[in-house]
Amino acid sequence: MLRIATQKCCDQLPSRFLPFLSTKSGAAVATRRHQSTDDKVEVFVNDKPVYVKPGSTVLQACEIAGIQIPRFCYHDRLSVAGNCRMCLVEIEKSPKPQASCAMPVMKGMRIKPDSDVSKKAREGVMEFLLANHPLDCPICDQGGECDLQDQSMMFGSDRSRFLEHKRAVEDKNIGPLIKTIMTRCIQCTRCVRFADEVAGVSDLGTTGRGNDMQIGTYVEKMFKSEMSGNVIDICPVGALTSKPYAFTARPWETRKTETVDVMDAVGSNIVVSTRAGDVLRIIPRLHEDINEEWISDKTRFAYDGLKRQRLTQPMLRNKQGQLVTCLWEDALPFVAEKLSTTEGSKVAGIVGGFADAESLICLKDLLNHVDSEGLCTEELFITDGAGTDLRSNYLLNTTIAGVEEADLVLLIGTNPRFEAPLFNARLRKSWIHNELEVALVGSKVDLTYSYEHLGDSTTTLKQIADGTHPFSKRLKDAKNPMVVVGSEVFSREDAFGVHAAVSAIAQNATVTSQTNRGDGGADWKVLNILHKVASQVAALDLGYKPGVDHIRKNPPSLLFILGADGGAVTREDLPKDCCVVYIGSHGDVSAPFADVILPGAAYTEKPGTYVNTEGRAQQTQAAVSPPGSAREDWKIIRALSEISGMTLPYDDLEGVRSRMSEVSPNLTRYDAVESANYFKQAAELAKLAKPQLVSKPLQSSQLSLADFYMTDSISRASKTMAKCVKAANEGLTPDL
Amino acid sequence: MSHQLTRIVRGLSATGIRCLSTTAAQSGHANFKIHIPTFVKATISKHKIDYDLEARKDPDMETIDSETQAVQLQIPTTGTDASCLTGVPEEHIVSRKVRIFRPAKNAMQSGNQNTKLWKIEFDTMERWENPTMGWGSNADPLSNISMAMSFKTKEDAMAFVERQGWSCYVDEAKEKQMQPKSYGANFSWNKRTRRAMK
Repeated sequence: MLRIATQKCCDQLPSRFLPFLSTKSGAAVATRRHQSTDDKVEVFVNDKPVYVKPGSTVLQACEIAGIQIPRFCYHDRLSVAGNCRMCLVEIEKSPKPQASCAMPVMKGMRIKPDSDVSKKAREGVMEFLLANHPLDCPICDQGGECDLQDQSMMFGSDRSRFLEHKRAVEDKNIGPLIKTIMTRCIQCTRCVRFADEVAGVSDLGTTGRGNDMQIGTYVEKMFKSEMSGNVIDICPVGALTSKPYAFTARPWETRKTETVDVMDAVGSNIVVSTRAGDVLRIIPRLHEDINEEWISDKTRFAYDGLKRQRLTQPMLRNKQGQLVTCLWEDALPFVAEKLSTTEGSKVAGIVGGFADAESLICLKDLLNHVDSEGLCTEELFITDGAGTDLRSNYLLNTTIAGVEEADLVLLIGTNPRFEAPLFNARLRKSWIHNELEVALVGSKVDLTYSYEHLGDSTTTLKQIADGTHPFSKRLKDAKNPMVVVGSEVFSREDAFGVHAAVSAIAQNATVTSQTNRGDGGADWKVLNILHKVASQVAALDLGYKPGVDHIRKNPPSLLFILGADGGAVTREDLPKDCCVVYIGSHGDVSAPFADVILPGAAYTEKPGTYVNTEGRAQQTQAAVSPPGSAREDWKIIRALSEISGMTLPYDDLEGVRSRMSEVSPNLTRYDAVESANYFKQAAELAKLAKPQLVSKPLQSSQLSLADFYMTDSISRASKTMAKCVKAANEGLTPDL
Repeated sequence: MSHQLTRIVRGLSATGIRCLSTTAAQSGHANFKIHIPTFVKATISKHKIDYDLEARKDPDMETIDSETQAVQLQIPTTGTDASCLTGVPEEHIVSRKVRIFRPAKNAMQSGNQNTKLWKIEFDTMERWENPTMGWGSNADPLSNISMAMSFKTKEDAMAFVERQGWSCYVDEAKEKQMQPKSYGANFSWNKRTRRAMK
């Protein structure tokens, strides 16, 4: 009776009286009344009603209402600290202003973020913060994009009531990437929480209390994380800034280009800041399904490698065997003549990890035109069984965001922390928030979270596939399992055997997980391949052969190397009279043994299509133009085709892209994950080919942090990355 | 003549066509000559864009958006090709592509005010350091268009781009998802969200 009465009463009363009805029935009413708005709670922000999920914070409710509350310690992707007090707001019926970042909403709450009380509270907090903050904005690298600067424009006083001395704190050396000016620190602890929660490296912490509180590592040491650079972004003041970017530019002088990273196969979204044709820095760009707001240190800091070791002029090897610079007018006809006089079966091409889909399709069309099928990727994959015919065989099918729905992950022969740091960050996020369980077959490494190590033997794989291993039981009970195999296993002699075993494990888990979920649907995908290089998925989509076996078996007389610097093919593997044409941006591993060098563009210098390991096509934008006489790679190949009399039927980017979508339509559906299927068929085809396993242990090549930094031609050319390797290996020295 | 010229110039600039600088038209130089082809006049009267300064103050023509503080000019969105009037060299119209996007939030800052409006930009052309002052130079007359223009919706931007005769593509904005937040999670005794220390 009471229940009905209250309900009626609620219906008639204006909702601001509702907080008084704190009986059980009141709660029942609350849920019932708002069923129409998806069980959301009604709160009022500046008297405007908004509906928010129960359990949201006041700050989030204001955000939904379109009002951003000023904050320093609160960050969307970190835990709530509630210590800066900048987000204080007035809430009706509450005696004091409340910290909105930590305060959960209650039904009928009337929040007044723009009231005089809220404003006065912020002004008070700001006055205390500025009491100890140095007035060095003119020489501070954060100037122009500083939260403290921004918010003091709104809430700061124009004069000081502070007569004492300002606090001063000794600067810390935490490595070659992050510069610290600790006097500027306002103790928001965002960096400490980032290190603990996202990076999973508890190197940073606080010491002392009150006015003596300091952020630091306690003993001087490097902040040993592959994602350490993100603390520069999240620091709301200039206490943590970028060492390589120090005193380089102001944000208003630079132009920002929104593009995509290619240093790993994750395809993090980035913003490249440039000034007058120079790349000055790289910062992350929000993409919830890929990198959230983070990027790895290699993505962020390897940009100085874009200016060193660059190929800027075409080169030809002269009679003395030396490479000398020449003009495009000399180099292209030379290659064209070779191309038209060499038999098709003697022409081959190898593509490396930075090749964009545009140059991949141009090279493929050109070589196919001369009847060559020798188009290989440097990165390996399997060719037996379904091989690359079924797309599901080589994608991270669950997707990166899908990790958050998984409950059990089995990693095989991979160290995701260094092969794809953002994927590992997603695993860690899920490990913290969703109680994700992780197991690993492979080298025992520090993944930053706890996992079950099942050894590194292939027998374990076989046992899990058979169902005789104790872990099979857990896999069988999982609702949303994931099996992730690293691309490094494909360099093994029994690559096909491992892939087949993994497919079998995944196929079994797919069946049992469907039963466990009880939905019977097949939309949860278990099998995942984690690639290491950005070009691989697009290359396989376009029909390149994985691995260079074909070239070893059929020695070419004319070999095109498109930025392949992994050392898969050396001069010794090739016949003596073979003419090697290198198209690429850096003079790294392969360019020195080439006979012709055609300088190409790096990823910041061309609009290109890259498909990440999930199968998501994304495009890069040109931020600067290629240095010297270097040109976009696909244009070089297009020009070459015209000179050799085999003109490719497209001459602009649109034409190339429409050709790409003829071959594989997913390549131009930007930002869409074209999901793949036929797992069952792939697993059956694999069985038919009789896979074999050898007893060699499954190992990763990147075991410690020092192995992470320099893995490709750009990062090998980067001085910053070299410093990182030195610091990770030998510890900090004053010059780092 | 001067009055008519002013009206036409204002009318054109209201549709985003910069045919003359407004100040030149206002000053009404005696030796300032402009040839207005008949078809231009026809276009102007046909689409009723020949309003003058008074008309621009008309609340129906110009509104201020309460949320973004952006001045919204209500432009008739008839699909007319204005490229013949803009003075933009043909190579820029034919060979280049416009990207329509909403700027990403700066990862260095908390504020998100600059991420609310749609912008247009062209592909980057070559830039170099000017030897006289060390400033960045380039030869692209359209390189600053993203600083000069904002649109409330991507449809507005597309309509504008279409009238200019440019081809374009839309980069969909990446929306932030709201994460569940709880101060209590720091102290949950059996969850990994527990934080032992700060």
